[in-house]
Amino acid sequence: MENFKIENLSFSYPTSKDKKSLDNVSLKIEKGEYIVLCGKSGSGKTTLLRHLKTVLTPHGKRTGEIYFNGASLKDVDSRTQSAKIGYVMQNPDDQIVTDKVWHELAFGLESLGCDQKTMRSRVAEMACYFGIQDWFHRDVAVLSGGQKQLLNLASIMAMQPEVLILDEPTSQLDPIAASDFLNTVRKINTELGTTVIITEHRLEDIFPYADRAIVMDSGKIIADDTPRNIGKLLFEQNNPMFTAMPTPVRVFYNANGNGNCPLTVREGRAWLNKEFETEPEIKEIPYQNIDDDIEKPALSLKELWFRYEKDTPDILRGVSLEVPSGTISAIVGGNGAGKSTTLKAICGICKPYRGKIKVLGKPVNKFKSGELFRNCVSMLPQDPKSLFVKSKVFDELSEMTKDKNRINEIAEICQITDLMNNHPYDLSGGEQQRVALAKVLLTEPKILLLDEPTKGMDSFFKETFATVLNKLKRQGITILMVSHDVEFCAKYADRVSMFFDGQVLTTDAPQEFFGSNSFYTTAANRMSKHIFKNAVTAENVVELYRKNKGGAQ
Amino acid sequence: MKQDAFSKLHPAVNLLFFIGAIAFGVLLQHPVYLLAGIFASGLYYLLLNGRNGIKNILLMIPLFIFVTLFNPIVNTRGVTVLFTYLDRPYTLEALVYGVAVAATFVLMIIWFGCYGKVLTGDKFTCLFGNLAPSLSLLLVMVFRMIPNLLQKAKQIIGARSSIGKGTDEKSSFKDKLNSGMTVIGVLTSWALEGSITTSDSMRSRGYGTSKRTSFTVYRMTKTDWISAFVMFALLGIVIFFAANGGMNAEFLPERNIAPINSKNITGFIAYLGYLMIPTILNVKEVIRWKISKSKI
Repeated sequence: MENFKIENLSFSYPTSKDKKSLDNVSLKIEKGEYIVLCGKSGSGKTTLLRHLKTVLTPHGKRTGEIYFNGASLKDVDSRTQSAKIGYVMQNPDDQIVTDKVWHELAFGLESLGCDQKTMRSRVAEMACYFGIQDWFHRDVAVLSGGQKQLLNLASIMAMQPEVLILDEPTSQLDPIAASDFLNTVRKINTELGTTVIITEHRLEDIFPYADRAIVMDSGKIIADDTPRNIGKLLFEQNNPMFTAMPTPVRVFYNANGNGNCPLTVREGRAWLNKEFETEPEIKEIPYQNIDDDIEKPALSLKELWFRYEKDTPDILRGVSLEVPSGTISAIVGGNGAGKSTTLKAICGICKPYRGKIKVLGKPVNKFKSGELFRNCVSMLPQDPKSLFVKSKVFDELSEMTKDKNRINEIAEICQITDLMNNHPYDLSGGEQQRVALAKVLLTEPKILLLDEPTKGMDSFFKETFATVLNKLKRQGITILMVSHDVEFCAKYADRVSMFFDGQVLTTDAPQEFFGSNSFYTTAANRMSKHIFKNAVTAENVVELYRKNKGGAQ
Repeated sequence: MKQDAFSKLHPAVNLLFFIGAIAFGVLLQHPVYLLAGIFASGLYYLLLNGRNGIKNILLMIPLFIFVTLFNPIVNTRGVTVLFTYLDRPYTLEALVYGVAVAATFVLMIIWFGCYGKVLTGDKFTCLFGNLAPSLSLLLVMVFRMIPNLLQKAKQIIGARSSIGKGTDEKSSFKDKLNSGMTVIGVLTSWALEGSITTSDSMRSRGYGTSKRTSFTVYRMTKTDWISAFVMFALLGIVIFFAANGGMNAEFLPERNIAPINSKNITGFIAYLGYLMIPTILNVKEVIRWKISKSKI
C-alpha cells in the first residue's frame, strides 16, 4: 500500500513564463519508507515536497494528480491532512508559534480541538520520547537551534502523522545538533514506521540508511534507486550532484576502487583494509607545516578576556592568535565556545576587558572612528540577511560604493552578475551568502572575517564559494573564518586552529591538525586513518590510493 | 526556572489575589491601611526579586516625595494654608492628601511589579485561553515577537557596524537617525518574511480547521482551593468592616480619618492577613523544607 502516488505532475510558478519547476514527475512512496530527495539548490525539491500538502502548495499552473492513501489529495480534508502529513521546514525559529515549549508541543492538538485529557497524555508522551522533559517549562527564546528544531519535530509528531516530510531541516544547525536531529528522524522511521521523505545537504548522515534516494535536476526526477546504485549512476553520468555524496562513495569511485561501494565510514575502512592487505609504501601526503614565528602578522590577538554580563562566566579566557597575511585561516571548535565572539571582538562589537588586538600591527583602539572598517577589516556575519537593506542586489552593492566598475568587478568575482535585479530575500542561501560577501568586499578589506560561511550551502555552492575565497587570497587578502564545517576547513584552509574552553589551543596545517585527531576530524580521515597517516580529504585519500596502486593498474 | 511558593499556585488564584490587593489598594485611602499595603507588597516584591529588588524599592522614595509635594500645587482645597505663592494657597490638607495619593501610587507600582513576575504571559493565556483562544494566541505571538525583534535588531546593528556602516558617539544626529531608520526597515521586511513561514507552519498544523481548544499545564489542587477559600473569607471580612465605616478616610477639605479601635481592628487584621498570603506561603515552605530536611 502506498502513502503517496504522484502521476505526471508538472508545475510552473506564475512569474517564470515557460520554465517548469516540476516536469512530469511520477513517483510512488510506500508506507514506512525512508526516502532521501537530493538535487542542487533550485532543482525543485522544495516545490515537490510542498505539493504533498494542500495548504502549502504554491500557486501556479499545474497538471497531473497526487494521491494520498489512494484518494486524490485535494479531496482529503485539511483536518486529516494536518494530522496525517507532518511537515518540518528549514528555519527553526520562524516555525515556532508560541513562547513556551509546552505550549508549542500542544499547538497542533489545540488546532485540532483535542480535549485536555488527550492533549495531556500526548504532550507527555512526546516530551519523554524526544527527551524534552528537562526544558519543558522553558521559554522558546532560550533554546539552541538544535533544540528548536527538535521541538518543531516533536510538536508535529504529537499529532501522530503517518508521513513526515522534512525540507532541509538541519541546514541552520551545527554538525553535532544536525546529526542528533537526523538520528531522531531515523529512530522515528524505524521504531514507529512513520514514512519519511527528507531533503538534505548533509548526505553523510542519512544516505546510508535510506531505502531509496531520488535525484532531481531542473524539475525532473533523473534517478530513483537504492543509495548504492545512485552513487554509481551519478559517477557514471559525471553529474555535479556526485560532489554531495558521502566521502566513502566519492573516494571509491574517484579511486576507481574494486568491489562493493562503501557507504559509511565503517564500510569504507573495511574496503580499504581489503585493498591494502599488505601495508602501502606511501602513507603520507607531503605538506608544508606552518611556521610558528610569523613576521608582521595581519592580525594578532593577545590574551583576550571577555564576558557579556558582569556576573556571567567568561566567554573568552585568554585568546591569543596570530594570523599571517595572505592566508586562509580557520578556527574550528564546539558550539558556544566563543568562536564568533572572537570575531566580534576584532570588529569591536564586543569589547574585551583585558588583552590586546592589533590589526596590521596597529592596536585597534588607535584606529579613529570608522577607520578600522575603511580598507582594513570587514566581517561577513553568520546570517547574510542581516546585511540586506535594499530591495535589489544592485542597490545593495551601490550602498557601499558609487563606483560602478568596481561593483561589476566584485560581482564578477562573487559570481552574482546574473542576480543584480533580484530581491536579496528571493535568493537561495548560497546566493545570499555570495551577495553578502560582495557587499563586504566593497569595503575593500585587507582582512576578511567570515562567521560560519558555509552554513546552509549545498556542496556544489561550497566549491564555488571556495573558488571565490582562493581568488581573494591570491589578491593578498587575509581571510579568517570560524566554522563548524571540518570538511571545508580541511580542504581549503592553510591553517586550522582549535578553539576550546575560551582559548585557541593549537594551530596547525590541516593535514597535521586533522591527521593527529581521531574524533574531531573529517570523514575521509576517519575512514583512512588506519592505512594512511594524514589523508584528510577525499582527494587526499584518492591521491594516496592511486600512488600506491599506480603500478598495479 | 525557580518559582516562589505563591507563583506555584493556579493562575486563577494568583489573579484573584492581585485583583483583591489592587482594588483595595486603590479604594482604601486610610493611612494605616496604606502603610500595611506598602509593607506587605514591598516585602513580597523583595522576596520575588531578591537583592535586585532593593534598588527598585529605594527608587520609590523620590517618587513618593515628588507626588506628595506636587499634589498641593494642583489641588488648592483645604483650610490650613501653609504659604501662598503666585496668589495660590499651598495647604496642609492637600499636602497630607498628597501623602495618601503618593502612597497609593507607589503601592500600585509595587503590586504591578509583583504581578508581572507572578502572572507570566503563559499563565495569562491559560486563564483567558478558553474564553478567547484566538485572541490569546495572538497575545502569545506578540509576547514572543518583541524579544525576537530586539535580538534581531542587535544582530543587524552589529553586522552593519562591522562593515563600517555603524554609528558611534561621534556620528551626527542625522547619521544616527538614518541608520536607525534603515534598521527598522530591515526589521520590518525580516519580520514579514518570517511571518510567512510562521503562518505556513500554523496552517500546516491544522490552524483554522476546527474550533481551537487551549492546553494548560495548570490544575486546581487542594492547596489552590484552600487558598482561594481563605482569600474570599478575608475579603468578605474586609468588605464588611469597610461598609461599616471602619476604614473611612477623608482629607479634603478637612481631615477626617476613622480611628482604629477594638471594634474594627478585626477588619485591619483581615486586610493585612490577606496581603501577607504570598509571603506567608513562602515562609511556610521554607519552614516545611527545613523540618523535612532535619528528619533525614
